[in-house]
Amino acid sequence: MPDITTTYVDSLAPNSAAAKNGQNLVRKNSFAELHRSESGDLLFGQCAGSGKQPYSCSADFIAPEKPVFRCSCPSRQFPCKHALGLLYAYAEGREFTVADVPEDISAKREKAEKREENKAKQEESGAESKPKKVNKSALRKKMLAQLEGLDQLEKLALALVRGGLAAVDAGRMKELKGYVKELGNYYLPGAQNELRRLLILLAEGEASEEGYSYLMEQLTVIHALIRKGRTHLNARLEDPELALDPESTIDEWLGHAWQLSELKAFGRVKNDVELIQLAFYSYNDLAREEFVDEGYWLDLGSADIHKTVSYRPYKAAKHMREEDSFFDVAQIASLYVYPGDMNTRVRYEEMAIRSAGAEDYLAIAGAAHRSYTDAVKKVKQQLKTPLGDKRPVLLLHAASVGVTESGEYAATDSEGQSIVLEDIYPLAEGSVELLPFLPEGVLRECALLVMFHHHPDNNRLIAQPLTVFKDGQAYRLLY
Amino acid sequence: MSTTLLQELHQETRRLYIAGSDLAAGDFRLKRLLPQFRQLGERSAVFKRLGEGIAALVEPADAAEPSAVKLQELALLLESVLYTQGATAPDGEPGPIAANPVNAGTTLSYRRLAPIREALTTTGGGRYEIVVEAFKEGAFQDLRLLPLAIRALDDPYSEIADYAAATLLPSYGPGIAGLLAAQLDLQGGKSEVRKLKVIGAAGGSGWKELLFTAAKEGKEAIRTTAMEFLAGDAEALPHLLEWSRESRSSIRKAAYAALAAGGSQEGEDRIMEAFGGKDREAAAEAVAGMVSTALADRLTTLFHQELLKVEITPKDAKESEKLWSKLQPFIIALRASDSPELLEAYRYVLRNFQLFAPVGSSSLVNRAAGYVEENGTFEDLPILQELELQHVVYAHQHFHLARRLLAPAELYQRFTGSQLDVLKSLGSKKKVHREQVLLGAIEVLVLRREWTQVERIWEGSGLQHSAEYIMPSEEELGTWDPRWLDWLLARGSLKLVSAFARPGQPKAQHFLLQHLNSLEQRDRNEMVPILLQGLERTGMPLDERLEQLVLLLEQEKKYYRPYDFDRYLFGMLLELPASYAGRIEALLPRYQYDARKQLEYVLQQLKAKS
Repeated sequence: MPDITTTYVDSLAPNSAAAKNGQNLVRKNSFAELHRSESGDLLFGQCAGSGKQPYSCSADFIAPEKPVFRCSCPSRQFPCKHALGLLYAYAEGREFTVADVPEDISAKREKAEKREENKAKQEESGAESKPKKVNKSALRKKMLAQLEGLDQLEKLALALVRGGLAAVDAGRMKELKGYVKELGNYYLPGAQNELRRLLILLAEGEASEEGYSYLMEQLTVIHALIRKGRTHLNARLEDPELALDPESTIDEWLGHAWQLSELKAFGRVKNDVELIQLAFYSYNDLAREEFVDEGYWLDLGSADIHKTVSYRPYKAAKHMREEDSFFDVAQIASLYVYPGDMNTRVRYEEMAIRSAGAEDYLAIAGAAHRSYTDAVKKVKQQLKTPLGDKRPVLLLHAASVGVTESGEYAATDSEGQSIVLEDIYPLAEGSVELLPFLPEGVLRECALLVMFHHHPDNNRLIAQPLTVFKDGQAYRLLY
Repeated sequence: MSTTLLQELHQETRRLYIAGSDLAAGDFRLKRLLPQFRQLGERSAVFKRLGEGIAALVEPADAAEPSAVKLQELALLLESVLYTQGATAPDGEPGPIAANPVNAGTTLSYRRLAPIREALTTTGGGRYEIVVEAFKEGAFQDLRLLPLAIRALDDPYSEIADYAAATLLPSYGPGIAGLLAAQLDLQGGKSEVRKLKVIGAAGGSGWKELLFTAAKEGKEAIRTTAMEFLAGDAEALPHLLEWSRESRSSIRKAAYAALAAGGSQEGEDRIMEAFGGKDREAAAEAVAGMVSTALADRLTTLFHQELLKVEITPKDAKESEKLWSKLQPFIIALRASDSPELLEAYRYVLRNFQLFAPVGSSSLVNRAAGYVEENGTFEDLPILQELELQHVVYAHQHFHLARRLLAPAELYQRFTGSQLDVLKSLGSKKKVHREQVLLGAIEVLVLRREWTQVERIWEGSGLQHSAEYIMPSEEELGTWDPRWLDWLLARGSLKLVSAFARPGQPKAQHFLLQHLNSLEQRDRNEMVPILLQGLERTGMPLDERLEQLVLLLEQEKKYYRPYDFDRYLFGMLLELPASYAGRIEALLPRYQYDARKQLEYVLQQLKAKS
């Protein structure tokens, strides 16, 4: 059983409200019974709820890296506040009396064991789990619809360009919103999001020069998406297997959500990886209509910077786990890697935790680019690709971070090359203003995690610092 | 590569996006760029392609692709090229950052930090509580919250802004003053005033120069705030004297206040001068409650002199008003002062009740009676007794002074016995009025009403705020004559009988029980807890009192139905034995809101007991 501390329980909670509610249950003395099994790997109890019958909830640590929480309450949150409360009670040192494992739980344990066994057997026998049968004619039909959708989108985009952005008035906006909805019929959620993003820019970009530059950029993105998407779909239609492209991001741009099994099938899995989080933030993506939790992580083995992205659609946000900053090292047996650019997206199903130590911070410092010329070259290489990730994140080693007379902050490498540090448009929250508050000496010979952004109007490539690393300490400027 | 040329092309294409690509054919501004691109195109493939793109747009061939496609293609290519041209160099040589280290780290996780950040960057309800809670938990030691704490000085919800100025920012130590001083705008509004307050309070003497400048050159509110912090500064004295003669009254007031707080001879002379002239009211308001003893003595002498000058009762409202406006400033200024001379001055007012009664619609006499009540001696008892005969409301002050000076039996005698003869001459209406005044005077002494906080255990968290009567202790009751209980019973005062109740008084117990069951609906919220506490004081056993309470809840009609049970009643309910579980469960449907939740909690506890 892992060490159950309040922080550990906090990290299990899907969001801070659930954690608070769980703690309240303990304070209200709502638990009528608190028990643990003889072997100590199961905690269970009875918790009073709004109904007559109390809920029976349990936390099963028979597989310590994959604890199982069960509860008879109807909550869609997982773990629910009752299971969390049970753990908080344990963490606070309440008395848990030893009792027999309840029958229903032992039955469930048995079933789970059998499942595991079956799985193991299957793997042993070498029979790769049967590839999912794809209904090819349906898929073909879907792809033809996607092509048709791209045609529709192109018509719309070209009409906009022909008529001019200045001509878009309230009536036209309403019409465009209708098109966004219609695009939903063509299995193109990615393209639909980009069109929605264009409309959001149109609605807010009140005639400022900068606003128009971003609008123009968004139109060219849509143009590139249509062109590349069409070529890709046509190529796939010619392929008898109708296979996805595991090397490019185009499928994701069109709206494909990669499944872990698909990634595995393409061999996009790294084994036995240790990740340390460098920065975290969460934002509201109006175009996707989702909250996005984004974490940037260093692969301690390969020095790659990956990102984890979890989307919480507005409608389901209440029931989904809200990610949080992570200060330990995650040990991951199989890390699934998405196709992508510099910061490929990763996902994992299970992880173990170890606390971060000095050597991990040394690894962070070691992964930082020492020559800005090289770093900038890499960044520009990615930016110029039409559908490349326009917000590359890099670790830079800074000999010093300073400020010019006009108040511009800049990081300088050992060769005297500087990069301007500035709050960037794609990040809603600023961080540069925090630099003067950092402890003395932190901004010399340190590593900076920065996100780059190309400013289209003044043609500058700037970087916003996300975290500063110095001597085994991380100063997170975002979260 | 010519970045300027590329930028120019970017601007021109953007213009076409705004105006529409239909207007691209023959566009002369684009055309003008074409030769340069062609020329550069001879050496560079990229420029060549861009040149071709421009040409296709401004000189469309027949049956070619539509202009919109060409514009999109050109822009896509151009953007790709521009992405490789981004300049990264700063506009000057970076020098060291003027560091303001605040000795804070960044230890909070997203889930902890985000709600606080949201509270400080948005508007809406509940934000203040989040901020206060966060501060108590030490969250503001995370440096990411410092800029937000500074910005909170501007918060539209002034409680948050004031909290930032009074608590959040000073907690960062004197270093915060430098940070705020760097952004201080002397011509600014409220948030700048708050900044100045933090600098003055947290910064210490190092910031005198800035405060001086602010007091001299700032906007009105900035000036007055800066003056607060200059009080007592010898260098500032001549300036404060000068500012006390300015035409704006707010500036004069701030200067008077600073002079009074400074306590210098010159400053006090200036204030006396103001009292002698037209500026008496402004000076009084400014120095109210903070005059030194020496200044108070001078003001008292002047006050007494002015009182002596009054020879005839003001004839009408206008005259009375005029006299009040001359005398009131003394009362305001001397609000927190006391001295034998001042006592003498107020005695003079009381002795000449007829002369001063109409002044300020009896405010002058009220103040004098209040002062004598607080500070008087035996000598004053007859004065207040005489005053009481003039008007029964002054029985209140008379009673309080007597309570302070006399032994319990003497007090009882004085107000219930010997006065009887006098009262006979008063007539019954006046007698009832006087008794009401006395009941009020006693209540103030024995029953304090206090705001209390109770943890809402029935909800698991949060605090319940309620006003409660605090009953006198046994010790305190020992300082009262025991005969008061009968006197109070005779006058039917529920609250005071509860307060004075003691074991072995069946009459009192009977009286309280009787009223507990016949209370008017509107009185119940206030009275039920008091009466039950009274019953406890008569020595009634707990089980009987519990039964009384539950009976009250079970009444067929007009049962007791509070919004919530106060601390005392809730505490009683928790004492219920397990056998009451069924009765409480049956009651649940009758109740709503907090009372319902409390009863549910009680029921849960009862079930746990069984």
